[in-house]
Amino acid sequence: MARGFQGAVMRGFGARDHDAVVVGTERIAPHFLRVRLRSPTLFQDAVAEPTAWLRFWFPDPDGSDTEHQRAYTLTEADEDTGEFAVDIVLHEPAGPASLWARQAEPGQSIQVMSFGSSKFSVPEEPPAGYLLIGDAASTPAINSIIAVIPADVPIELYLEQHHADDPLIPLTDHPRLVLHRFPRSGPESLAAAIEARDWSDWYVWAGPEAGSLKHLRVRLRDEFGFPKSESYQQAYWSHGRAMGKRRGEKESEPAATAAPEAVAPVVPAAEPRSAAVAEAGEPAAAAQTPADRPAKATRGSWQAAAGGRLLRPLRPTLITAGILQGLLALLQLAPFVLLVELARRLLAGDESDRLWTLGSLALSLLGAGTVLEAALLLWLHGVDARFARDLRARLLGKLARLPLGWFTARGSGGVKKVVQDDTLALHYLVTHAVPDAVAAVVAPVAVLAYLFWVDWRLGLVLLVPVLVYIVTTAIMVVQSGAKIHQAQRWAERMNGEAAAYLEGQPVVRVFGGATASSFRSRLDGYIAFLNEWQRPFIGKKTLIDIATRPGTFLWLLTAVGTFLVVDGGLDPVDLLPFLLLGTTFGARLLGIGYGLSGLRDGIVAARRLQNTLEGRELEVRAPAAAHTGTPHGRVVFDRVTFGYRPGVPVIREVSLSLEPGTVTALVGPSGSGKSTLAGLLARFHDVDDGEIRVGGSDIRELSADELYARVGFVFQDAQLVAGTVRENIALAVPDATDADVERAARDAQLHDRIVALPHGYDTVLGQDARLSGGERQRLTIARAILADTPVLILDEATAFADPESEYLVQQALNRLAAGRTVLVIAHRLHTVTGATRIVLLEDGAIAETGTHDQLFAAEGRYRRLWDASPAVAAAVVLEEATR
Amino acid sequence: MIRTLLSLLPASHRGRVTGYAVLTVGSVLLRAVGVVLLVPLVEALFSTTPRDALPWVAALTAATAAGWFVDSRAARVGYDLGFATLDGAQHDIADRLTRVPLGWFTSRNTATARQAIASTGPDLVGLFAYQISPLAQAVLLPVTIGLALLPIAWPLGLAALAGVPVLLGALWASGRITRRADRVAADANSALTERIVEFARTQQALRAARRVEPARGQTGAALAAQHGATVRLLLLQIPGQLLFGVASQAALLLMAGTTTLLATRGVLDVPEAVALIVVIARYLEPFAVLGDLAPGVETTRTTLGRIRTVLDAPAAAAKGAAAPPTGDSVDVDLRDVVFRYDRSDAPVLDGLRVTFEAGRTTAIVGPSGSGKSTLLALVAGLLDPTEGTVTVGGHDLASLDAESRRGLASVVFQDPYLFEGTIRQNVLAGRPGADDDQLARAMTLARVDELVARLPDGLDTRVGEAGVALSGGERQRVSIARALLKPAPVLLLDEATSALDTENEAAVAAAITHTRQRTRIVVAHRLATIRGADRVLFLEHGRIVEDGPVEALLDSGGRFAEFWRQQHDAAGWRIAEVPAVG
Repeated sequence: MARGFQGAVMRGFGARDHDAVVVGTERIAPHFLRVRLRSPTLFQDAVAEPTAWLRFWFPDPDGSDTEHQRAYTLTEADEDTGEFAVDIVLHEPAGPASLWARQAEPGQSIQVMSFGSSKFSVPEEPPAGYLLIGDAASTPAINSIIAVIPADVPIELYLEQHHADDPLIPLTDHPRLVLHRFPRSGPESLAAAIEARDWSDWYVWAGPEAGSLKHLRVRLRDEFGFPKSESYQQAYWSHGRAMGKRRGEKESEPAATAAPEAVAPVVPAAEPRSAAVAEAGEPAAAAQTPADRPAKATRGSWQAAAGGRLLRPLRPTLITAGILQGLLALLQLAPFVLLVELARRLLAGDESDRLWTLGSLALSLLGAGTVLEAALLLWLHGVDARFARDLRARLLGKLARLPLGWFTARGSGGVKKVVQDDTLALHYLVTHAVPDAVAAVVAPVAVLAYLFWVDWRLGLVLLVPVLVYIVTTAIMVVQSGAKIHQAQRWAERMNGEAAAYLEGQPVVRVFGGATASSFRSRLDGYIAFLNEWQRPFIGKKTLIDIATRPGTFLWLLTAVGTFLVVDGGLDPVDLLPFLLLGTTFGARLLGIGYGLSGLRDGIVAARRLQNTLEGRELEVRAPAAAHTGTPHGRVVFDRVTFGYRPGVPVIREVSLSLEPGTVTALVGPSGSGKSTLAGLLARFHDVDDGEIRVGGSDIRELSADELYARVGFVFQDAQLVAGTVRENIALAVPDATDADVERAARDAQLHDRIVALPHGYDTVLGQDARLSGGERQRLTIARAILADTPVLILDEATAFADPESEYLVQQALNRLAAGRTVLVIAHRLHTVTGATRIVLLEDGAIAETGTHDQLFAAEGRYRRLWDASPAVAAAVVLEEATR
Repeated sequence: MIRTLLSLLPASHRGRVTGYAVLTVGSVLLRAVGVVLLVPLVEALFSTTPRDALPWVAALTAATAAGWFVDSRAARVGYDLGFATLDGAQHDIADRLTRVPLGWFTSRNTATARQAIASTGPDLVGLFAYQISPLAQAVLLPVTIGLALLPIAWPLGLAALAGVPVLLGALWASGRITRRADRVAADANSALTERIVEFARTQQALRAARRVEPARGQTGAALAAQHGATVRLLLLQIPGQLLFGVASQAALLLMAGTTTLLATRGVLDVPEAVALIVVIARYLEPFAVLGDLAPGVETTRTTLGRIRTVLDAPAAAAKGAAAPPTGDSVDVDLRDVVFRYDRSDAPVLDGLRVTFEAGRTTAIVGPSGSGKSTLLALVAGLLDPTEGTVTVGGHDLASLDAESRRGLASVVFQDPYLFEGTIRQNVLAGRPGADDDQLARAMTLARVDELVARLPDGLDTRVGEAGVALSGGERQRVSIARALLKPAPVLLLDEATSALDTENEAAVAAAITHTRQRTRIVVAHRLATIRGADRVLFLEHGRIVEDGPVEALLDSGGRFAEFWRQQHDAAGWRIAEVPAVG
């Protein structure tokens, strides 16, 4: 098999051939063929993930034994059966891949390897949108990307058309996909086609032709400002590059591209496969560029770059610290240099007092180094403490102004992560990470420079073990490829299995061995996997260890050094620096990676913190007009539209008016927007369109205190503040009398429980006593009763630990709701059959509204919801059971 | 740490430990030889005939190559030991867990056990090769070099030997100070941020109560007050970070000074002194290695500590008599049963004395936390009473071995754990030898037949890890079938409140009323279930407060009657507009 240099390199890295047998072919478009194959062993190496691709070795069309390597994206994969598919663009004149694909018959076999594949994944917090750019060749990859992008994230897809049939290639559906197709008129047309707009916070994935990419890259970076971290660019093929004509040892394609075979270009027609002619075609294409190029786009700004903004005030400090740390690293090397000097003087037979001068110099350097290090640490800690204090103060202020929806969207875990973990990571970044990184880099570089200066020949010797290390590590990384991924999956799976096994212990005890056997076999599987993964690397790991240890450096330096002294005219004194500093060079070099890892964590943390600090706040508008005469308790939703992401409304044009003394229930399937709509009234978020008025005033014109004096809410997560029971009940009315507090507690069915606490109303919550879920809920109800707002939002709770607590909460709610404007989010239909009005939401819009009897009789959606609800059925059964 | 490690190794591998130790010592000796060879080699280089160094280079080459050979052998043996340790540890843990009393599984112990299983693999595999070997070598090498220096220049050899405890001490102290300072800093950080987290956590309440600004002011003031104290605490970090560096540099200067002194006095000739300076630098290297190893060793200690925690957990001895499993229903007797989860806790069950007669159905009712589920666990033999005895069919559970205990009771748990496998395998876990008729009957009763009919793979449908492929209600039905199939004289049901749907309802009713005679105890929340029972026990604060048939208790108007009424009202509760009071 002749696979050329590239094939040999990949083999050296341990890439394995897998035999794949064609199962069938399907013509997806006239020039687009899906080939299904099966290989029982492929998925030991390959991982089916978005944009993952395989390398195929196609036979030479001219019949020589040269094999041509082409890469294709996995479009179907079943890891259990080993079945998979790739899509191949057929073109004229055909290259080896097209030729092979056209003639592919079931049963035919071909060699495939998985080596250096890529993976696309959507981060936890997706970007504002995805800009996807490609053509027929990258369509399979683009389809796999579209499939994993959440439905609420917009996609702008730019496809360069090379063939009249390109539009017939199917694309994955996505509700927010906007497709732009345009023919190629030269390498610049793609870059020019991208809309000039503000792409702030978007992510770009580009897999076009190599020439187009060159121009595209410039436009994305220089005009739009896409940062590196928010972009992935990879040429999928090369226009005019002869593909499949070279043969023998010279066969190879640009190593950097995972290039699927060239798609036959549309323009100019029947392009010859010679590079010279392709280049000749270029001027024509270039002619249109400057004029057609749209006006300069606004450069966007990316949240991904926010970390830099947070740390900007610290930058001078960190740079100074880095310089000082660099000096310090040099100072710590100084004793070794002095030892060399000492040896030199000893050998020269210097007087002993000259030697002692050297000793005192060494001592003073040691002293200076220590003082400098201490001072640096002290200074950085001081800077960090001040920075952290200011940061916390800013965070505190910010948290007080962020919309409440910000907190509900993140949950307590997310808030804690920002406030606690990220400030800690930042502390590490400021006080340790920069000095560590500088020291890790400066020391080996300085050593290397010094030693090269002493003798470059011996300096080169130092690099031999380093080379061994790099090559061996690279081989291991490549061979581990899929295994690293699998190891993560195993770790996650074992974590889940172990948790389930522990949780299932009672079952295991009652039902015995059979119930535990699956866990045991999984455990054996895990150990077998580790064995299979790690064992083959023992030799290489040992090699790395041996190559980088001081003993090896010592031997190398001494052996080569001796020969140089004997034959090469090396002054033996010049060998000394190598013996003193060169032996630990390997260990120093390994430290670089470790020293840099702390920086990354800190920068991610800084980005999250800065994004929090830059989060949108609620503004209070100037009142448009005085509203008098409207009752405080009247609530009007006026054509309210709202979405969490721009362009994706979750509430659409909702108009609704709630009168004092009435109960309005929001019902609807989960995800229909009930909680969101109720949250808008409490100003968890601001509406995108329309307005919400309470007592005649737009809630955006009310200050927070004015708004919450009118609107109260009791939601499922009962928030207690640190303090006594009394303080918690009287939170909104700090000067309430004991009698008021007690009355509210009685109304909330909580008084009896409170007096049973160790210190009654003065019991400190959390410290002296813990309350059950139902009791906490009743406490927040007591708080709302005392706060006495005219408008009230309730979340009818769903699950209770026991029926008794459910009953008490219900009694408390009855008392709280009395005489107010009530908006209730209903999870169980039967609890709101007595509401003044039921509003059925579907997809964020009002679908039906009326009383229970009206809606029930109308036999519409509400009726269907009712009939389908298991809770209702259960309630009916219950009632019958108790009759 | 070493003790834990050795105890984890399977007996078959103990012998290899000796071989491993021999290889490790051999490796140290070869390295020391390599270092000492430098003395004649460097001496020769600085002599008038540097060519004399060539034989020494040959010797050094031989020693280095031998070192490579020994080390690669040692690495291979080390990995073998690592894999053996992993295998031994994982299986010991899995075994131990099935014998640990259920009371041991507090949330903390459970988390430890989970981590001990899930996240120790890669750590243990490389343990010998990456930690034990370098650690042993780094300690032994300086000592060996010091010893080898004695015959060459005894003052220097003595200094080197004396330096070992000093430098190790500095390293240890430095690590300790740094760790303490880190802990203080972390505590200080969480103290500061906890207040902000608290402020963020209660934003809804604070805003609704219009208390944001006062709360912010208070929190801000508290933060400012703590700031000064924190800065002072952080100063603790500095000595830890400086100590070892200063100590090793001082050692270098001191020993180089000694060498120079010896050379100027003529005790050593100059080339020898130069060679010794090189040796001194090599002597110090292992200490730096130790410093780099410290964090890894710390992680390993934690890992081994977790494994230790599980393996040291109390386990029920495989004691006790085997009782013949009785297929027919039997009496269950609780005699003065007291149960506490922890010695210091208030009792969950407090002096329970009750007999569940053979063949009858008893419903246990009561508020949450009254001890209902604990009572079931005691009868099932999953927990042991702190005081008193539980007898089933006349056998004191405490005197039975695990196998016989298991034969006595079948349980439907609130959270039905299914294992990865097919529905058939899961149901058959109740009675591995059941015939098709028995299987079919249990499935019909639990309504699994209807579920199986809907699924394309029928009985051979895989339930997924922990049963996730099925809905909560479906899992419950499979677990009921499993319990019904098991031929135990006592059937215990813990009725789930969260899975209030009709499918479970029917299955639970079937489980209670099917014809087979058993002694049945049901923790019941739902009126329909309670109604089917022969007798109701109302539990409150771990005591039985009411006991009798449903109708009698309803008539007496006590706690049960109140519970019944509240349950009835709660089910029928509606939120509706109510005129303002007053």
